[in-house]
Amino acid sequence: MMDAFKTFFDYVNALFVLYMIGYASFLFLAVTVGSSTLYQAKRRNLLKSELWGKYYVPVTIIVPAYNEEMTIESSVRSLLALEYPLYEIIVVDDGSRDSTAQILQKAFHMQQVSRPIQRKVPCRQAEAVFETHEFKVPITLIRKQNGGKADSLNMGINAAKYPYFICMDADSVLQYDSLERIVRPVLEEGDVVAVGGAVRPCNGAEIQNGRVVSYHLPDKILPCMQVLEYDRSFLAARILFDKFNGSLIISGAFGLFKKSVVIDAGGYDSTTMGEDMELVTKLHVFCREHNLPYHIRYATDAICWTQAPETLTDLRKQRRRWHIGLFQTMKRHRRMLANPKYGLVGSISYLYFLIYELLSPYIEIFGLITIVVAFALDLINVPFMILFFLIYVAYSAILSLTAFFARIHTIDLKLTALDVLKAIGLCALEVSCLRFILAFTRATALVGYKKKKNSWGRIERKKIQFK
Amino acid sequence: MRAEMLIYIYGAICLSMIGFNLLYNLAMKRREPRLEKQCEKMKSEVMRQLDAIRKSGAVQPDHLHNLQRRLQKLKNLMAFDRVMQPLCEGARDDAVTQYLAQIRPAMLYLADCYRRRDATQAAYFAFLLSRYIIKKQMPIDSIQDVLLGYIQKQNLYCSVNALQALCAFGDAGHVLAALKLLDASPVFMHEKILTESLLSYAGDHDDLIRLLWMDIDAHSEQMQLAILNYIRFKTDGYQQEMFAVMQDEGKDKELRLSAIRYLGRYTYEPALDALIAFASDRDLSNWEYATVSLSSLVRYPGDRVMDTLKAALHSSNWYIRQSAALSLEARGVDYGSMMDVIAGNDRYAREMVTYRLETQRLQKAGGRR
Repeated sequence: MMDAFKTFFDYVNALFVLYMIGYASFLFLAVTVGSSTLYQAKRRNLLKSELWGKYYVPVTIIVPAYNEEMTIESSVRSLLALEYPLYEIIVVDDGSRDSTAQILQKAFHMQQVSRPIQRKVPCRQAEAVFETHEFKVPITLIRKQNGGKADSLNMGINAAKYPYFICMDADSVLQYDSLERIVRPVLEEGDVVAVGGAVRPCNGAEIQNGRVVSYHLPDKILPCMQVLEYDRSFLAARILFDKFNGSLIISGAFGLFKKSVVIDAGGYDSTTMGEDMELVTKLHVFCREHNLPYHIRYATDAICWTQAPETLTDLRKQRRRWHIGLFQTMKRHRRMLANPKYGLVGSISYLYFLIYELLSPYIEIFGLITIVVAFALDLINVPFMILFFLIYVAYSAILSLTAFFARIHTIDLKLTALDVLKAIGLCALEVSCLRFILAFTRATALVGYKKKKNSWGRIERKKIQFK
Repeated sequence: MRAEMLIYIYGAICLSMIGFNLLYNLAMKRREPRLEKQCEKMKSEVMRQLDAIRKSGAVQPDHLHNLQRRLQKLKNLMAFDRVMQPLCEGARDDAVTQYLAQIRPAMLYLADCYRRRDATQAAYFAFLLSRYIIKKQMPIDSIQDVLLGYIQKQNLYCSVNALQALCAFGDAGHVLAALKLLDASPVFMHEKILTESLLSYAGDHDDLIRLLWMDIDAHSEQMQLAILNYIRFKTDGYQQEMFAVMQDEGKDKELRLSAIRYLGRYTYEPALDALIAFASDRDLSNWEYATVSLSSLVRYPGDRVMDTLKAALHSSNWYIRQSAALSLEARGVDYGSMMDVIAGNDRYAREMVTYRLETQRLQKAGGRR
């Protein structure tokens, strides 16, 4: 019996060594490539490698909103302050039960119009359309039957006047130059169908007229750890995927899309909780199956500030939602896996998301269980286990700090000594504690997910301090 | 133990990256004061030369040699950029203009020097030439020849800056040569960038357009589109040529649509029948021609045009209906003259017209506030 256990643990050891080598190598590549890309961008910036002319691509900003009375007015005001001349704002109120629509109508003197909207992608019926032309750019409010975020985005696409649209969250703030930055890849390459913006937690940042006037790490531990996690896991990894046109996700908080291609691909899927990832994956599939030349890019300097959840309950809700969305997308597009038709997207990006995002919580929990069993059977070298764990914590913490400092230094943000100490202390806590809590959350996310498939993910909102 | 070793190695590399981050940060902190010092030195040098020009009409004899030597270093070039920027903004002092003219030999030397550097540095030098150094029609052909070399560097920013520098020179022949090189280059340049660059041309636009038109079919379709759009913004003298493009079924769709837009901006009576034919085309696969033609008909007078626009309101294509309604709105029609549509049986036409009239009212209200 003991021999059987030993053989089993040998296999488990081999599996985890491979798993860890893969993960460590990916993180290492992502952070080194990500950091060096940020430094190259900084150098280009210093040497004025920019498009200086007034090359404006017309853009529609779609803001889906559900019960956003707390944030919607300041959110639209922040959009009006963007330094870009050619855009329109469409707010889609997805049957809010609070006074989201009334607040907008009153604040922006909106009037009801009988606007015909062509259904190019499926969405629920519009109940009323309001418009105003009193501001720098036209603002439209569409009140519609409740159908979820994807359904609201589809309504926004149907009503959009311009050839490119931006999707964003109602509780986010775009940096003053973000539109100019996010359209730049469209001007640089002819076949760009989507561009992801860089989403950063705004907790701790003071933003005036879309500009960061002061920045420090958030006071609360949880958002602070998320700042570090965003840099290591999202910023670095997305830069790496961008290198081989392999991005499978553009955050729903800030992304630019070519409207005609999205319409041809069928628009957002309202049956999934991860409509942002599903759309990007679908665009890869659509373009490759129709042999269309395409690029999906990531603009590291197009910045959107968003509210990171401040309580563990909200954070777990958010991650649960992300994990369900990931599962649904991976399942729907499973034919991509290692399929030569999809090139590196199928063989690297899909595989990475499958192993290190979708299956990782189960693998990690399986690992913990085997440690407990091995300990009970006295088959574990405890000092080595502790040493290995410490190596893992130190390694992940170093990577987090590398990505964090690279980002901070390349965008000229100033940190205090306290911030630096906080970052060093919390990055270890994040990889040793928060990661396992979130692994458990993700591992249990799929239990009963079908019941909530079309609901909006609600986290506690704070009023945006837009000055 | 091998996996552990691998993680140790990765960790060591990451630690060195953190070290690099910290050193980089320190270097950045020191860089700014150093650059400020260099700017001060450069400024006093340039001011001394401007004084010399005001007194004797010429820069000091060793200045060109100094510039050639010093500006080869990137940090000095950045300092020079910072010094020249305020001097070149707005109306230029005569001494500054003379100074720029007299340092041309040094710039020519440096242009050749930076052409051999990496694309980012080359792009930066081309940017400086386009912004500060080149004054309209300065006859320094040698720099223009060197700039053609910059266009071949296969870097978007380098090509854009070099093209803009060439446009700032105002020599049509070199601009045409640059466009040909860009056509042959694998670097993608958006037609908006091409059109904007041509619009910034400092020479005589009619001459440039004449030259571009002579050779237009030799360009790629994307380049032809940029040229057609440029012509639309600059001259009304190409109606006949544009009419021919519009009628040529062998031409690319975007080129024909651009020609239709031109004939909407500058009316051309012989084109009216063709425009009405496009606008009335029932074949929905041609909806883009119909939509653009409907927009172009706005400036053409007559009942036939009005009837065509009204008829298009009943199209089964949403974009055609919208374009017709927008054109009617642009012609200033009111509720009274659209009563037949508003009270008619076609719900889609009624909705579109009502919406446009409402929008018109809101826009006027917005304008008043």
